[in-house]
Amino acid sequence: MAKKWGHFVRSWMTKNMELPQDVMMDLPRITMIGQIHIYIENHRGLLAFSDKELRLLLKQGQLLIKGKAFVIKTILPEEILLEGKIDSVTYITDND
Amino acid sequence: MKNQWIEFYRGLVTVKASGKGIERFINALTRSGIYIWNVKNHGTQAVTFKMKLEDAKKIRSLARNSDCKIEFLQRAGAPFLFKRLLKNSGFVAGALAFFAVILLLSNMVWGIEIKGANPATEYQIRKELDKMGVKKGKLQFFVDNVESIQRKLSNNIEAITWIGVELKGTTYHLQVVEKNEPEKPEYLSPRHLVAKKKAVIVDMFVEEGRPVVDIHDHVQPGQLLVSGIIGKEGETETVPARGEILGETWYKSTVELPLKSTFQVFNGNEKVKHSITIGSLNIPVWGFGKLEFKEYEIEENEKRIRFLKWELPFSYKNVTFREREQVTRIYSNEEAFDVAKVMARNDIKNRLEENAKVKGEKVLHQSVDNGKVTISIHFQIIENIAEGQPIIQGDTE
Repeated sequence: MAKKWGHFVRSWMTKNMELPQDVMMDLPRITMIGQIHIYIENHRGLLAFSDKELRLLLKQGQLLIKGKAFVIKTILPEEILLEGKIDSVTYITDND
Repeated sequence: MKNQWIEFYRGLVTVKASGKGIERFINALTRSGIYIWNVKNHGTQAVTFKMKLEDAKKIRSLARNSDCKIEFLQRAGAPFLFKRLLKNSGFVAGALAFFAVILLLSNMVWGIEIKGANPATEYQIRKELDKMGVKKGKLQFFVDNVESIQRKLSNNIEAITWIGVELKGTTYHLQVVEKNEPEKPEYLSPRHLVAKKKAVIVDMFVEEGRPVVDIHDHVQPGQLLVSGIIGKEGETETVPARGEILGETWYKSTVELPLKSTFQVFNGNEKVKHSITIGSLNIPVWGFGKLEFKEYEIEENEKRIRFLKWELPFSYKNVTFREREQVTRIYSNEEAFDVAKVMARNDIKNRLEENAKVKGEKVLHQSVDNGKVTISIHFQIIENIAEGQPIIQGDTE
């Protein structure tokens, strides 16, 4: 009950006070440059990494990126810069 | 992303991690603040990435706690380059030594060329240069500069009129002009000998001509002493009269000398400062400390450092400070008279020809007033008073 209420307050604040949503609600901010770069902030860790696939843990759910020739250019606790040829970015949420 | 150059400077390593749970391992790395980049997948369950050298120690304990094996593949960056440099320090030392030797050799005196001097003078010049320290193999910093070499040589060697010293690279070029002292032709036109000044004749050596005066004669300036016209009346002949007529002449010399006088003298205390100058920046090398001299004179000597044929923007400079002192000299009256007499004698000698002799001297007058001594001395001198006077042709015919 309390958690839900907190969530409600936050979404109300972002709506009415024009605060950035990624900060307020711990959502990932994804910046893509064409197909070659993808920059994800606010992730919660690496789940799987291979040439063709990157799976990231988010606060809610996971993010699946598919493509070719992946190289992690930089990885920091909450940020990741991926390089390669990106085909798809998919959100995977359990409670759908 | 961080600047890769800084990483290079600090050193970086490429690590290969293999095994299960690579992703967990990477998460653990990032969470413990290790910065990794260029993560690449190699086949199944193997990954390579780069990391900072300073984090290499931390990774071991993290790897022990995970299921991964790690392997260091490549080391890059300045620390490793430096290590290799140390290993091959022989090359570096060799290169440095090479430059040092070239630098040293570029600033040596390699040759002394003397032009325009005959062998005897050349030998003399070389000896003089040796004395000054200008020799083959000497460093140019410790050799006098060109102007002073020039001055010393022209002062010390009498046989040269002028000497040009030029430093071209490592060779001194000396251009010498010798005093040409040709034998004067003993050609004289017919002449008489007449008296130069008032005198009493003491001695006569007549080589040619007919003497018209005798010893103990008192002569006036311009008076005929030896006639150039010889022979009997009617068949006379004109010759250049030659000879020496020694006469006693008189000079008076008056000397004034203050009893008390002050001089500026160097007292021998000196301090040399060596420095290397780069542009306008002066880096002292030797000779520190404050000057304790009240009055001094400064002599600066700057030498450009050369490398092969180029002049480097560095120069070696030495500055010599010589202490100066005021010395007050006080004579007693007797001393002052003695000194004044010596001065008077010197004064007379300067006024006379070389072969004149001082026969006697007599103090005419000496006095002390206003802190000055005044002395006048009368000198009796024996000197050659003969002077040629050409016979004008019209006179004889």
